Amino acid sequence: MVITSVTPVRPGMKLHRRLTGVVWTIAILALTAVVLYPLAWMVSASFKPNSEFGSNQAFFPIAPTIDNYLKVFEGVGGVPLAIFFLNSFLLGIGAVIGTVISSSMAAYAFARVPFKGRGTFFAIMIGTLLLPFHVLIIPQYIIFRNLDMIDTFWPLLIGKFLATEAFFVFLMVQFIRTLPRELDEAARIDGCGHARIYFSITLPLIKPALITSSIFAFIWSWNDFLGPLLYLTSPRNYPLPLALRIFNDQTFASDYGATIAVSVLALLPVLLFFIIFQRFLVEGVATQGLKG
Amino acid sequence: MMFSTRTRRLALAATATAAAAALALSGCSPAETGGDFDPEAEVELTFTWWGNDDRAARYQTLIDAFNEQYPNITINGNFTDFPSYWEVRQTEAAGGGLPDVWQFSDSYLRQYGEPGLLLDLGTVSEYVDFEAFDDALLGTGQLEGAQYSLPTGYSAWAVFQNDDLLAELGVEPYPGGTTYEEYSEWMAEVTAAGAAAGVYGGTDYTQRIQNFENVLRAQGKNLYTADGGLGFTEDELAAYWEMGAADRESVTVPQSRLEEIAPVSGFGAKLTASEMSWSNFLGGYLAESGAASLTMVAPPLDVDGGQDLYRQAGLQMAISADTEHPEAAALFLDFVVNSPEAGEIFGTTLGFPASSTKLAGATLEGADAQVADYLDSVADRIGAAPPVPVIGYGSLEQTFWDLGKSIGLGAVSVEDAVQQFFDEAAVILGQ
Repeated sequence: MVITSVTPVRPGMKLHRRLTGVVWTIAILALTAVVLYPLAWMVSASFKPNSEFGSNQAFFPIAPTIDNYLKVFEGVGGVPLAIFFLNSFLLGIGAVIGTVISSSMAAYAFARVPFKGRGTFFAIMIGTLLLPFHVLIIPQYIIFRNLDMIDTFWPLLIGKFLATEAFFVFLMVQFIRTLPRELDEAARIDGCGHARIYFSITLPLIKPALITSSIFAFIWSWNDFLGPLLYLTSPRNYPLPLALRIFNDQTFASDYGATIAVSVLALLPVLLFFIIFQRFLVEGVATQGLKG
Repeated sequence: MMFSTRTRRLALAATATAAAAALALSGCSPAETGGDFDPEAEVELTFTWWGNDDRAARYQTLIDAFNEQYPNITINGNFTDFPSYWEVRQTEAAGGGLPDVWQFSDSYLRQYGEPGLLLDLGTVSEYVDFEAFDDALLGTGQLEGAQYSLPTGYSAWAVFQNDDLLAELGVEPYPGGTTYEEYSEWMAEVTAAGAAAGVYGGTDYTQRIQNFENVLRAQGKNLYTADGGLGFTEDELAAYWEMGAADRESVTVPQSRLEEIAPVSGFGAKLTASEMSWSNFLGGYLAESGAASLTMVAPPLDVDGGQDLYRQAGLQMAISADTEHPEAAALFLDFVVNSPEAGEIFGTTLGFPASSTKLAGATLEGADAQVADYLDSVADRIGAAPPVPVIGYGSLEQTFWDLGKSIGLGAVSVEDAVQQFFDEAAVILGQ
């Protein structure tokens, strides 16, 4: 039997602790305010009429208006805003599905299937992380152009379904490597092949990695500008980042109010996506390891 | 780790296969052109431009008008913003797939004309009317004798003024065409009168390469030479930037203040009573500042009788060399640059109409009429067009402006800025 002695807390100590807590809270709140100020400014500025940009840098609009939002909902070049949102969603969801399926399969193969040259191929895959997108643009463009895929979503999605995102493959490989091999071996003794092990054992256990990848894949796709710019030519197929730029063409008159209003709207889905999935992210990290 | 021979052989085989596949994919031959053109044949053309919503709506109206005459030619139009526009064209130029007809800029004439990416319009001259342009304007789309593009319109450099703001401050408007010194004196007067309201006489004009170009042209020189080099010395550039030193101290709007309101200009934000820019900015300035009226007068000039201004025909139309339908593309290009319908639909929004037939269709009212009057008023200041811009002129122009702003912020001395500009120019011009 172990006897633990309880040290009595001095009353002064209690007060000191509480004070420290209050100071910390205030400091953190102040820091949060500094970090979030630009975002709050953007939301507030989206209610400023165009004439106030440049003349009124204050936080609040002098003559608040919802005209910016009304104008934005009409869209650009005869294409309603909803279409841009829809395109962004299709690309984002396509990117998530493609990334999760293909990267997890590739990762399983690298982590659990012994084959000749595995190390070499793994090194080559990691090597592709060092290739900037700009190096690949022209050869990729030629390929997709000859496949007659310009102005379709295919060039932006095919790669996602072929595990070309080395970052996600690497993330999942590292995750699978932490899983006990005994689980695979037990399943193998029961007569499972690789496919069954991958579906029934590996996939459920790497859920946190899948969710992390999904969040990144969605946000990257949502914010991608260069890919859609190259491959999508008609405004009807534009995702939000391209539509955003059209509101703000410096060669003529720029519509700052509309640009900021669209920016606010474009931010909302990403924010929602993150808020919904963040729970799983934390859960996943917190419950790493085995559940009995 | 040593690779085994087998692994190396496998890797080589894989690389070779991939290379062969890429070659096979990219080795498609261009479609055969030529033969007799059938004006009734069903044809599809791709057409692209940069601009905003307003421009897109006008182009759509123009395409509809074109289809009334040529219902068999389908035009697939699309557009982006200016910086993105050139990124995509660069990729298409390298990978094939440039649009059939596209909005073009004279800054890129060498870059796209020299490697043969643009169609020599001389080969489709029976479908395009060159007579509607005078020689100087035709010259803006010519390279080594070949006509690669045609201007949609032109503009000239001007001093813009905000009448209401000057009336509030009780200062007489700038008369235009004075010496630079007198312009600075006028700006100082406005800055003194506007001290309480926080209004300045103008912006540091030495930031803009166009003013430098005017100063050089007044002396019979140019920014660049016909063979693609710089047309000025380090000392000339230093003297030009020093010209604005006194104004930067106490007259013009501080650069730090401009940084706060970017991307709105000082003039658009009503911080300054004057600013120099191209005449076709009038519409944009009116929208930005919300002013009821703005006036344009001739820029300052230090050389009596100097012909420093020119008709800048930046906005052009071009056809890709590898278009499958050069004749149909030429018919459409002609419609965009020459038709009275284009004049009626676009007014002066693609610059002041360069073609006489397009101009005939334009109804010049309000701001458009003002641009026309201004261009008439400076006719005797307009000289010959400068040589075709060097490759990379766009980025030189931006570098010049960035350095000008840095001087204004006190981040760099004139001497260092000159050095930086020449270093960068050497890289861009490959000297």
